[in-house]
Amino acid sequence: MIRADALAKTFKVHKKEPGLKGSLKSLFRRETIEKHAVKGVTFRVDEGEIVGLVGPNGAGKTTIVKMLAGIIHPTAGEARVLDYRPWERDNRFRGRIALIMGQKAQLWWDLPAADCFLLLKEIYRIPDDRYRATLHELARMLDAEKELNIQIRRLSLGERMKMELIAALLHSPRVVFLDEPTTGLDLSAQRAIRDFILSYREQHKPAMLVTSHYMEDIQRLCERILILREGEIVYDGPLARVVERYAPHKVIRAHLRRTGEPPQPTAELRALGEVVQCDEDQLCLRVPRADVARASAKVLEGYAVADLAIEEMDIGTIIERIFRERGEVQA
Amino acid sequence: MHRGGRVRGSGGMSPRLFWSVASLEARTHLSYRFNFWLNALVGFLVELAIAWFLWDAVFRVAEEPTIGGRDFDGTLVYYLAVILLAKLVRGREFEGAVSHDIYEGGLNRYLVFPAPYVPFKLAQRLGSMLAPGIAQMVLFGAFAAVFFRVPEAMRPTAASALGALAAVAMASLLYFLMDAAIHMVAFWADNVWSLDVAKWFVASLLGGYMLPLSVFPDWAQRPLELLPFRFFFDFPARVLVREIGPGEWALGMALCAFWCLVCAGICRWIWRRGQLTYTGIGI
Repeated sequence: MIRADALAKTFKVHKKEPGLKGSLKSLFRRETIEKHAVKGVTFRVDEGEIVGLVGPNGAGKTTIVKMLAGIIHPTAGEARVLDYRPWERDNRFRGRIALIMGQKAQLWWDLPAADCFLLLKEIYRIPDDRYRATLHELARMLDAEKELNIQIRRLSLGERMKMELIAALLHSPRVVFLDEPTTGLDLSAQRAIRDFILSYREQHKPAMLVTSHYMEDIQRLCERILILREGEIVYDGPLARVVERYAPHKVIRAHLRRTGEPPQPTAELRALGEVVQCDEDQLCLRVPRADVARASAKVLEGYAVADLAIEEMDIGTIIERIFRERGEVQA
Repeated sequence: MHRGGRVRGSGGMSPRLFWSVASLEARTHLSYRFNFWLNALVGFLVELAIAWFLWDAVFRVAEEPTIGGRDFDGTLVYYLAVILLAKLVRGREFEGAVSHDIYEGGLNRYLVFPAPYVPFKLAQRLGSMLAPGIAQMVLFGAFAAVFFRVPEAMRPTAASALGALAAVAMASLLYFLMDAAIHMVAFWADNVWSLDVAKWFVASLLGGYMLPLSVFPDWAQRPLELLPFRFFFDFPARVLVREIGPGEWALGMALCAFWCLVCAGICRWIWRRGQLTYTGIGI
């Protein structure tokens, strides 16, 4: 449903020297520099898939979404969404996609959501009975029925986001772009939005591309992620494999009962893994994934363990490391 | 570099959608009751007062019975017609909407809709102007009928009102297209405010808003007749007060239609090039 082949985008931006001299100089001559926002990305998203686009600020995530939604023209490369070139903006293409922007309201601020939906019904030429059924279904799924007739600006952020989702999905799009859909929402609203997205995907199977800075969004929604760094895809694959490949160790943390004698990091213990901490309260060992079970058994056998926990490196930390490193990460 | 190519299947806008957009915009504006009445009262009264005192002073100093072919009462009636009809032509709150969309990224929303952008903005503009414009025309038309001495020869009739309505509709479209073309320069320029100010100055001076066009020198009359600006204010006002007969009306409408086509062509040309450079900032 979404296919990008060597898609690239370069922006020309004006550069100005600081200060008054720079301002006067720019009146007569402007220096332009090229910013390579996206450098030849290739990927695909199929029907029913939710793929996450992850990367630091300026990595090119939103630029990719804008090209695929037809908002901007690429500099090079090709893309097909539902077999259309997005930037040609064929109405048959635009009538089957949706773009939801968490940071930018799209509905008319001074009117109730119901009025906005009626306009969208006309824009997308949705038949009356399908409109009513879809609106009812979406409002029920999002528990938003009571807010339909309240002015958008009087709704809370979470309620507004629900209305944005309803507005975007009224015409039952086949491709959905979600740009930071849970930004600024409280925890329960974030959870509700994620549950809704998963539920919607189950029922309607659109292809979905999600960008988010929240790892909870990525972990909960996306089976596959694309990690972007400086305009290039450095990883394309399942989220689980990122953890396995890039975090080959786990940490065994044993809380110890006080026996009067502090434990000693024996040679046998060191053979299991790296001793991170060893005092009368705690014993922490970093061990390869494959050895976790054996090492845990040895710790339980050899020490007065009150409690044992096996810790995984945080996925966000793993991905941050990938952002900073050079070279491609193998999928 | 991708050149974008022709937008396929973009088509026009259905009348039903056009009306829905205009209606939504009208409802938005009507929800601001205080703003509505404040603009209606203050805008009208201030402009009329300025015209009254200015031309009263001019006639007293000139000591002439007529200036530009009209006496004092006739000049005031002309100005009343211009002020009222301008509300249906200019759509003040919507000026700059196109450049605002480009600068703030509001254009993104419209590019994703399966509907053409320029007609969409036209519908929004119409909606924003129609309800307040008509309300003001009715209220202050009634005010004028009571408090103004309207010369017999200038009294509007049903025919002149219909002719003026058609002229206003065409003028409104022309003004919108010209405004949109200027504001689409925002695709390249960091700020189009100065262009907008220049446009309003030229339109109001050469359109009969600042001064009746009849006071311009004889050598300027022919160029003024041919330029598009007079169709904004002078032409509809003169049709309403019966200074323009049916023959001249038909010629004027044809010329106005020609200018609409020219401006529409310019708009289209600028749009096709400008949207290639659009960066979609704002998301």
